[in-house]
Amino acid sequence: MTVLNAICVQEQVLEGDTLEQKWEIAQAWGFDGIELRGGGDGAFAARLRDLRRAAANGVPMPTVCVEMSHFIGAFDDDLRRDAITQMGEQLRVIADLGGRGAMTPASWGMFSRRLPPFEPPRSPEDDTTVLVDALGTLGELASELAVTLYLEPLNRYEDHMVNRLGDAVELIRLVGLDSVRIGADTYHMNIEEADPAAALIEAGPYIGHVQASDSNRLEPGAGHIDWALFGATLQAIGYDGPIAIESRLSGAAADVLPSVPPLLRRYL
Amino acid sequence: MAAATRVLARNWRGSYTVPAAGLYPHQWSWDSAFIAIGLRHISPRRAQQELDTIFSAQWADGRLPQIVFNPRLDVHYSPGAAFWRSERIPGSPPVPTSGLIQPPNHALAVLLVHQADPEASARRRFLPRAYERLLAWHGYLADRRTDPSGLVHVLHPWESGMDNSPYWDAPLAAIGETFRGDIPRPDLDHADASHRPSNAEYGKYLYLAARYRDHDCDDRDAGYPFVLEDPAVNALYARSEWALGRIAELLGNDPAPHADRAHALTEALETLWAPELGCYVARDVVSGELQPYRTVSGLAPLLIPDLPHTDELLTMLESEHFGLGQAALVPSHDLTAPTFDSSRYWRGPSWFNTAWLIAEALHERGFHDEARSLASQMADLGLEHDFPEYVDPISGEPRGTLRFSWTAALSLDLYERLHGREGAAL
Repeated sequence: MTVLNAICVQEQVLEGDTLEQKWEIAQAWGFDGIELRGGGDGAFAARLRDLRRAAANGVPMPTVCVEMSHFIGAFDDDLRRDAITQMGEQLRVIADLGGRGAMTPASWGMFSRRLPPFEPPRSPEDDTTVLVDALGTLGELASELAVTLYLEPLNRYEDHMVNRLGDAVELIRLVGLDSVRIGADTYHMNIEEADPAAALIEAGPYIGHVQASDSNRLEPGAGHIDWALFGATLQAIGYDGPIAIESRLSGAAADVLPSVPPLLRRYL
Repeated sequence: MAAATRVLARNWRGSYTVPAAGLYPHQWSWDSAFIAIGLRHISPRRAQQELDTIFSAQWADGRLPQIVFNPRLDVHYSPGAAFWRSERIPGSPPVPTSGLIQPPNHALAVLLVHQADPEASARRRFLPRAYERLLAWHGYLADRRTDPSGLVHVLHPWESGMDNSPYWDAPLAAIGETFRGDIPRPDLDHADASHRPSNAEYGKYLYLAARYRDHDCDDRDAGYPFVLEDPAVNALYARSEWALGRIAELLGNDPAPHADRAHALTEALETLWAPELGCYVARDVVSGELQPYRTVSGLAPLLIPDLPHTDELLTMLESEHFGLGQAALVPSHDLTAPTFDSSRYWRGPSWFNTAWLIAEALHERGFHDEARSLASQMADLGLEHDFPEYVDPISGEPRGTLRFSWTAALSLDLYERLHGREGAAL
């Protein structure tokens, strides 16, 4: 069985004034598509004209990854409502572009149980209620738009609610919608999962999107993640979606990124 | 072969693979080597780790133990760490192990794992590290287990890997003693009693194991009653010496001593050739008697490059006794023998590790069509039945436990070599 996963790179590491220019570079470096970054305050929706033009010019943009200061699991009700609104916009835009879906964590940088003051202001039960509500609302919208909302587990220092793939599976079962899936990120898995391969296989049916970066948050190949095992595992669960590189870089983009597609392709 | 990857990922325990979840909760020596041969297609790093882990339990005398126990699961398999108390035996490693050994297929596996990704191997210094361990392991076999015949012996049916082969019937019957304590059988919680060795056999097994243990596993118990020369054990030893020679070459060392050893073993194997049966047999060193049974062990010398009976073994494989191409895989025992039992462990059922060895041997001896046909039957049977421990040699129906690691690993290996990106290596 040969599965051909599109290997994408996030737009901010590509130079160029337009997405078409960025796509020229991405292609030259061996990538198959671009992952967009979705800003808040309506910034992503405001790009719609440029994004449509790029799509019309053949730039593959299957996914958008949220880039905001607050998220769907925010403690503050107003911020949470705004995050849900913004994510709804991102789902609409990505659907408009013919893409696959939008990715968000429960929160990022809001609270960590590993850092003072250690005890969050909201109970785990209330966290679950809030997340199931937000994921349900966005999942129903995604379903109407025929796209998917990807929930990304983050490591314990970046989020206190959804750290492992299993945490996301539990929430998705509670939500009960096929339009909510997991966005699995190898960097976070390397910290949180006892065995990333076994975790991916257990969560296999729920995996909707994959982001790849190495153990040290740098591009694949710059750390110690076992990419052979990663590729075999994605094949074992029949994952045929994109793999987006969301990494810091160990050197100049033009020097280090072209080595990434061949490295991953070798094992896919 | 995604299903095989799922089995191997689920049976991984952080640094090694269990043969199967449930029935076999620890690390087994020759299982690990077979498993590594498949793991190399999924993760060369994990395949190296699998072997590094078994090597890490090497005894001071060089032996690689049959089982490395997970002490947290000691009630799930018998005899376990509490039976062996290896920590009380001089030269045992820091982890609890069995004192027995298993067939030496490790050098073969090390070479294949290295070749799967020589760069990853070099980066992790895998080959030189493994070479030292393998030298000590083969040294143990040469110094402590070699008879005047030039062949190595096993001191327990378990050491052959083929626990209840008819080879052991007469030697076990000649032993009057049996184990006096309780005979716990946790294996029967997981498998049908009619498919497993019987309680009478287990009494003898435990008697021998306890006696070997109580003599500090020092191989100096003069009256020890079970000393057998098994063809497959010796064939694997010779084949592994060839592999060790290749490893020596890759490391810039002299391969000649390994080739010499392999030649000597091949010559000595002649004493186990039974012309009237058309295959090799085992010899009871205590009684001096050959054990006149056709088993898959007696076909395993096909693995040796300069064997004088290659064509006769192919004829035997294709005869009514083993039915190559007609039977499912390669039966563990002669289909026409009165001692044949299609469902009892090593007295008839077909196993995937021996099928892999025979397919590999056929390929190496130039019987490419036969090798490909056996390989593809094996990959199909494994996948179709969720990687069973063994199969009925006539119907192909699954027997024993399912999602068995070496079945998944070796089916994966043959599938990759038949269809994979590495090119048609079979």
